[in-house]
Amino acid sequence: MLDKERTRIAVLGTLAEFHREPIPYDMSALLELVVDISPDLLCLDMTQEQWLSGLFTDLPPEYREALLPLAHQTDIVVVPIGGGHPPVKPEAGGWRGKAIEWLRGQIGSLQRAAPSPDAINQGWRHHAANWLYSATRRLAGIKASKAIRKHTDHLTEEALNVARRDPNARMLVVVNVQYCHIIRERLRAYKDMEVLSYTDL
Amino acid sequence: MTTYLLVFANSNLHRAAWQALLGSQPGISVAGAAGELAQIASFQLPSPAAILVDVPSVQAEWVREIRATLAHAGLLLLVDSYDLNETIDLLRAGATGLIVRDSSVGDLARGIIAASRGEIVLPQQLATKALVALARGEAGQEERSVSLTEREQEVLYLLAQGHTNKDIAQSLFLSVRTVEAHLRNIYGKLSVTSRTEAALWAVNRGYVLKDQAASLGDIT
Repeated sequence: MLDKERTRIAVLGTLAEFHREPIPYDMSALLELVVDISPDLLCLDMTQEQWLSGLFTDLPPEYREALLPLAHQTDIVVVPIGGGHPPVKPEAGGWRGKAIEWLRGQIGSLQRAAPSPDAINQGWRHHAANWLYSATRRLAGIKASKAIRKHTDHLTEEALNVARRDPNARMLVVVNVQYCHIIRERLRAYKDMEVLSYTDL
Repeated sequence: MTTYLLVFANSNLHRAAWQALLGSQPGISVAGAAGELAQIASFQLPSPAAILVDVPSVQAEWVREIRATLAHAGLLLLVDSYDLNETIDLLRAGATGLIVRDSSVGDLARGIIAASRGEIVLPQQLATKALVALARGEAGQEERSVSLTEREQEVLYLLAQGHTNKDIAQSLFLSVRTVEAHLRNIYGKLSVTSRTEAALWAVNRGYVLKDQAASLGDIT
C-alpha cells in the first residue's frame, strides 16, 4: 500500500486540570499547538450525546476552555469518539490505595516539571509516566485495567471508523495523556493508518 | 489557510478596535482598514479574502460599489438585526453574508472565514428563506437527469438549508476539504459554477424541508 493511501493520524496527550497551572504545557501552549497543527478532524474523548447537547460541563477543562472554542471559530471539525464517561481514577483500599496515591504524586511531579508539550508526549518522561499509570491500574485490580482497556478500545475503533470514512483528512486525536500511548500502539497495528508524531501531522 | 481581512468602518476607533480584535483570531490576518469607498481600490488582497463592513446603515448601492472594486473578496455586513427583504436586496447587490452586532467573536471569526470562500453567511433559517426567494427570481432551469451519490445528496441538502462548508462538515463529521471535494463533484454534475447556483438548483427541486417551505409563502 502506498503512503498516500494511508490516513495521517496523530495522538496528542493532555493533562486535564494541570493545564490551568503555570506550567510550560499550560492552556495557552496547548491552544497554540493545535492552532499550529490545524488538523482537519479533531477527535475528542466525548460522547455523541455530549456533543449534540452542547453541554460541556462534564468535559475536562482543556476541551471546554481551549479546543471546543477554537474548533467553533475555525475549520477544525470536532468528532466525538468517546463511548461513555472515561473510567474513574484507579482506587484501592489499604496499602494498595496508599501506593496508588504515592504513584499519582510521582506522575504529577513528572508532568508538572516537563519543560514542554513534547516532553509530556514522548521521551523518557512520557514512558516513565506510562509505566506509573500502568502500575496504578495493576494495584487497583483487574477491574481498573479492564475499564481502561474497554475505553481505549472504543476510542481506537471510533478513530479508525472516522479515518476510514474520510481517508484524506488529517486527524488529531486529543485524549488524556494516560490513554495516548495505548491508542497510538493500537492504531499502528492497522496498515491503512499512518501514525505520526503530532509535530509531523 | 489564512483569510485576509479588510475592515471597512466609518470611524477610526471602530477600525482600530476591529483590527486589534480580529488580528488575534486564529486563521485571520487583517490586511488593512478603510473608511471611505474610494480607499478600497488601493488594497491588493490575496485570496481567500473578506471585507467586514461596519457602518450604521448599509446601502445596497455601497455593496455594489465594493463588489465591483474587489470582486474576489467575500463581503460580510454587520447589521443591527435581520430583515428578510433587506437581506435579499443586499445579497442581490453582492453581499456574501450578514451578521448581527451582538454575535460572539467566535461566530464573527467563523463568518469571516466562510465569507472569504464565497459561502452565504446567515442564520440557517434566514438563509433558507433567502435562497427560496432568490430561487423564485431565477429563470426555470432545463430538467435533466442528475445522478448524485448518497453523500452528495446529503451535502447538497445541507447546502440548500443555507449551511456553510464548515457547518456541513461538522454535521457529517467530515473535513471541510472533503466537503469542498463533494461540492466540486456536485457542481460538475449539475453543470453549475457556484454554490449559490447549486443551492438554487437544490431549492428549485425541493431540497428544503416541507415545513420550511410552508412557512415561506409570504415571501415576495
